[in-house]
Amino acid sequence: MSRIKLPQLTFWRVVLVIILIAGLYSTVIRFTRGLGASTALSDQFPWGLWIGFDVLCGVALAAGGFTLSAVVYIFHVERFRPIVRPAILTAFLGYLLVIVALIYDLGKPYNIWHPLVMWNTRSVMFEVAWCVMLYTLVLALEFSPMVFERWQLQKPLKIIHALTIPLVIVGVILSMLHQSSLGSLFLIVPHKLHALWYSPLLPVFFFISAVALGCAMTIFESFLSFRAFGKRLELDLLADLGKVMVVVLGVYLVLKGQDLLERGAWELAFEPTYAGRMFLAENLLGIIAPIILLLIARIRNNDFGLFVSAVMVVLGFIMNRLNVSITGIEANAGIFYFPSWMEIAVTTMIVALGFVLFGLAVRYLPVFPMKEQLPAERVVPLPAAALLHPAKRRTAALVLALTVILGGSAIALAYSGLQHRSRLMTTTDTPSTQPEAQVVEHSLQLPADKEFPQHEDSPGPVTFSHTTHVDPTQPSCTVCHARTFRIIETHQAPLSVNMHDRQACGLCHDGERAFSINDGCTTCHRLP
Amino acid sequence: MGISSQKALLFDSTRCIGCGACYVACKQVNRLPPAQENFLDEKLSAASVTVVNQRNGRFVRRLCMHCQNPTCVSVCPVAALEKTVEGPVIYHADRCMGCRYCMQACPFNVPTYEWNQTQPRIKKCTMCYERVKQGKSTACAEVCPTGATLFGNRDELIEEARARIRAHPAQYINHIYGLQEVGGTSVLVLSDVPIETLGYPTHVGTEPLPMLTWEVLRKIPNFVVVGSVLLGGIWWITKRRVEVQRAEQQEEV
Ligand code: SF4
Ligand code: SF4
Repeated sequence: MSRIKLPQLTFWRVVLVIILIAGLYSTVIRFTRGLGASTALSDQFPWGLWIGFDVLCGVALAAGGFTLSAVVYIFHVERFRPIVRPAILTAFLGYLLVIVALIYDLGKPYNIWHPLVMWNTRSVMFEVAWCVMLYTLVLALEFSPMVFERWQLQKPLKIIHALTIPLVIVGVILSMLHQSSLGSLFLIVPHKLHALWYSPLLPVFFFISAVALGCAMTIFESFLSFRAFGKRLELDLLADLGKVMVVVLGVYLVLKGQDLLERGAWELAFEPTYAGRMFLAENLLGIIAPIILLLIARIRNNDFGLFVSAVMVVLGFIMNRLNVSITGIEANAGIFYFPSWMEIAVTTMIVALGFVLFGLAVRYLPVFPMKEQLPAERVVPLPAAALLHPAKRRTAALVLALTVILGGSAIALAYSGLQHRSRLMTTTDTPSTQPEAQVVEHSLQLPADKEFPQHEDSPGPVTFSHTTHVDPTQPSCTVCHARTFRIIETHQAPLSVNMHDRQACGLCHDGERAFSINDGCTTCHRLP
Repeated sequence: MGISSQKALLFDSTRCIGCGACYVACKQVNRLPPAQENFLDEKLSAASVTVVNQRNGRFVRRLCMHCQNPTCVSVCPVAALEKTVEGPVIYHADRCMGCRYCMQACPFNVPTYEWNQTQPRIKKCTMCYERVKQGKSTACAEVCPTGATLFGNRDELIEEARARIRAHPAQYINHIYGLQEVGGTSVLVLSDVPIETLGYPTHVGTEPLPMLTWEVLRKIPNFVVVGSVLLGGIWWITKRRVEVQRAEQQEEV
């Protein structure tokens, strides 16, 4: 049972190798030719997938770690102790992967340590940088007992044990700061982020949704690790976690609704636009559908039902972060962003690495509690097997039906949103927001006459008059400026050899467009 | 140097003839790649930190607005951007780590990036800080043939702008763009058509944006202290309860 033997193992290895090759190739391009060659980012769209997905979602992976360690160590709800460790492991991996992603995304990754010594306490990014550094450290310490236990290092174990409570407290505080600060990052762009997502409450929304995601990820992982490693699941615990998740999602939904009402952005959600549709899809999939599913006790206490709800929360969460960082910004940027294949390859590689590391840790470290420590009835079958189990078939059918209805509508909404987007892309390059100018009559003030510096072999000084050369009603200044006559350079005398070569005055004074420079000197030169 | 002697630029779009002299001069003093032929369509980029565009029959300059309370300065985690006492907002490439938060946050979409460099820098107008420090004018104002771009003390330029509007009330719209936008900028713009027709963002408000994040950030120290005490307290209380429960259970046994 506990022996790891998966039929698809070879298949997954092939996939992993492909992901690695694509990722490494992109890595080489990224670090030898810069962000321009490897990403679809531009001056109009400076933050893309690596920030929107890798960083914003990666950090949120840690939410399960701080929520559960707070519940167990600070609130002394001991029943959850068996799933603290996998949650801490996920959090630690999440942060390591965020750091990796930052190394890709930062233009000068070798300056990543600068916030340590160069301070700007007014910057949210400064807070984010410190949170990443400190919380990674805390997580490493919280994770270390698994390593120490594995190799029976009693001394350090004891030290860490004594430090547990202060560490957990620091960790919870840092984590709350960090989750919310990712939302605060966007507080500075009230005119760039779509009103459906921009809110003074962004830090609060980011925090609450991260807690919900933390619960969902813990449920999700427990099932995955069961599938891959035969580790046992604590279904009753996970069902309780499901209950907590409903409450958190409910709070989020109510707050979000109130916020939209208060800011008068409510109607935007139902307008048939790209942003509106994506917003509905995000909330239907990630908030409303799991609330409906989990409120039904039969589904909540069913492994398949729990698993599906958790997946919905995770997907909805990812959609939310991408909507804030990409959809919502795109709506006002007047430009469309789609990540380059290299951005996707790097992201996929980072995620795959996360799975591999999680797998290795679960296999070699005491992450999940030993079998013996748990009563036998907590063993549950694979989620997929639940479908075949006759007693559970009806619940499974209910879950499936609800998933198809709710998930299907979310997909339909997102699809219609994307259609609106592609329609926008084909009709106008930039949204036409500029009103037409009213024509106001006024005369152009021509520059004063200009005396050219005189060259040694010039027959006499030349004064150029804009008045005789320019029609003030149709100035077309650019015929001469700034190519033929660089205004900044007119201190130099134009040479006659050059003029015969169709340069400077000679460009027009060729006998066709204007009289030729060979037609006599006195037309232009004042002879002494 | 006091606030009153802060340097600024006044751009009067009614006088701009789109000659591109400022564009060329800027490239020369900043050693940027050579000028483009069709520069009137060019966007701000690492190669051109100021451009002259044609919008609805007017010529308009685009450049860093050198905000009085700059968003970019407030968001930069490593203080690579700086509002100098002289007025210009400048950039220290050696501090920058390339997070591009300044680009994301600037309400005028000004900072640009050297996308194809392995050691990329943020690029934006620095109001010729080196020249200004030496008491000289900016290159763009120096070469402007029509006086569309003027360099001077901010308060004097505001007076000049007001005087121009007073003298030709029919010609100008009665608004000095940059006087109040995002709390005021060191680039002021005059126009004869509504400002948004020129392509400048007009919905940026008159409050400095850095306040939006500062309101949250300033609460952090308090949050840390109160939060730690609260969590410690909860830990202590619930621990007592668990101990009491355990003792009771043992007594029962
Ligand atoms: S216009 Fe943008 S880049 Fe320039 S000072 Fe203001 S915020 Fe900074
Ligand atoms: S890109 Fe550089 S200058 Fe801009 S905010 Fe980041 S560190 Fe500061």
